Amino acid sequence: MTYTASRRHLLHAAVATSLSGLTGGCSRSNTGRKVLVVGAGLAGLNAALILERWGYEVEVVEARDRVGGRLWTLDHVPGSPEGGGNVIGANYGRVIHTANTLNVPLRTPPRTLPSDYDIGGQRIHREDWATSSYNPLPDGWRATPPGRLVGKLNDDNPLLKTRAWHDPGLMATDQPADRGLRALGFPEAAIHLINANNSYGNNLSDTSLMALYRVMGEFGRLSGPALAVMEATAGNMRLPEAMAAQLTQPVATGETVKAISQSGAGVQATLNSGRTTEADAALLALPVPALRQISLDLPTSQQAAMAGVDYHKIVQLHCVVDAPFWEASGWGGSWWTDGLLGRIFTRPIPDSERYNMTIWINGDSCDLLNALDDEACTDTILQALWKLVPRAQDVTSVGQLVRWTNDPFAGGSWALWGPGRAGSAHAAIRAPAGRLFFAGEHTAEAYRGMEAAMESGERAALEIMRALT
Amino acid sequence: MSRLIHHIVLMLIPIALSIPTAQSEALSGEQLYDIACEACHSLGSAPDHRVGPPLENLLDREAGAIEGYRYSEALRASGWTWTLPTLLAWISDPDMAIPNNAMNYVNALTAEESQRLAEWLLQQP
Repeated sequence: MTYTASRRHLLHAAVATSLSGLTGGCSRSNTGRKVLVVGAGLAGLNAALILERWGYEVEVVEARDRVGGRLWTLDHVPGSPEGGGNVIGANYGRVIHTANTLNVPLRTPPRTLPSDYDIGGQRIHREDWATSSYNPLPDGWRATPPGRLVGKLNDDNPLLKTRAWHDPGLMATDQPADRGLRALGFPEAAIHLINANNSYGNNLSDTSLMALYRVMGEFGRLSGPALAVMEATAGNMRLPEAMAAQLTQPVATGETVKAISQSGAGVQATLNSGRTTEADAALLALPVPALRQISLDLPTSQQAAMAGVDYHKIVQLHCVVDAPFWEASGWGGSWWTDGLLGRIFTRPIPDSERYNMTIWINGDSCDLLNALDDEACTDTILQALWKLVPRAQDVTSVGQLVRWTNDPFAGGSWALWGPGRAGSAHAAIRAPAGRLFFAGEHTAEAYRGMEAAMESGERAALEIMRALT
Repeated sequence: MSRLIHHIVLMLIPIALSIPTAQSEALSGEQLYDIACEACHSLGSAPDHRVGPPLENLLDREAGAIEGYRYSEALRASGWTWTLPTLLAWISDPDMAIPNNAMNYVNALTAEESQRLAEWLLQQP
């Protein structure tokens, strides 16, 4: 089979090669091939930059009116808090290198204020946690703060030694996390607290124990200063913006793909605007809920794997606080609760007297809130906050409500693999299907979060370059 | 269209949809390095902002020997020296080669690509 590249494609490839990509400096010939990248988050942009570097013409289409996907710096809120991906790990090599190369400054985040507890409706000072009569944990467990209970998994974590967390052999031992924790000797009170703010599943019955091991294994392998995290000084969105600015063809924003068909000659995408665009291959760098909205004609097994992936639910209310109302009462400023408010992270806005306060609610607790309109949802959260700390009312204003589950282009914050499911679904979902390729954090092997997106873009670019040399 | 032609066309569809890789030109060592290594390693000699150590002059270098890098204890204590067999084992499956290492990398290359990459890396000055 031969490919014919149109004259237009060749011209674009010539331009792409004449402008250097991230590294430049090498002589890379035009391939005369064109790749359509759907989704301008970190995964799609990283793949696009690699492909341009090696002489491919790349067209990136993005449904939102901005690049960045699940990175969303709230630039309109004082302090520019992160509504999406917020943490750059010290071992996020691709993110850090790309930021350094593109002059996107990174910094150590301002320190989050100390957290007190609100458990069963009782407020507990952080220094009283171990001895408080409201601490529900049994002896031997009482000194562990609620947020660190899940870390006890590292006493016997098979994933401290391997990154192959979705290996079918390991997955054969997987089970629902609540059952697994019980079998490991975690007391019911600890399981209740872990479930209250579990970032790695919507409830512990549907959470894979192996997925928890994976996260804890990642933390366990890092230690000391290596655990320090970073953020982009002017907001994490500056990274995908800088990446997009490197592309020869600007990202086409506000362009939702409706369908992609493929033939022996290439792929054809139909956009909601009615426009069609053609390429030699397409990379779908989208979260699975968004992917499911596109007509793709995939193998049945791949469709089934995609249908079975759940996404994590997060509701955030980003507030700005004018004065440290917590100080008069001796509270630290942040809270960890087992109620509607979930966790409250407060940190100072640099060079300001004010604070960013993010109320961060995880998992199935979001269902009630996601069913409300923005105003009612915001009001419900605020009423709970005034009840917890009445003084907050006088000095706190709302910046932005963020609901990833209700966002049609995300459908949630990150992919969740139900107990035992990752062994088969992970590989099936990302397998190239003819001229269609897949990227996004849900397809990554080694990392989670932003680095997973970057990692997946590399792997997808590799697959496309293999197929279209 | 006769039934025979119809059948032949149906049989050809899967072939047309699969992209030929066997006759494709293989990716070069430089390309593989750019995709798989370059974000975390440089080809220089001095420590830089990247999370992994520089890979200059790798052939016969002792593993975990560049000053200024936070290697895992496992790699430092491995006694490994970088040659084609050790480098190939390492990049193919780091966890299998030296358990408890700090390189968070899952290899997406084929065996042939890993071989080509390892050979190319060891040829770099």
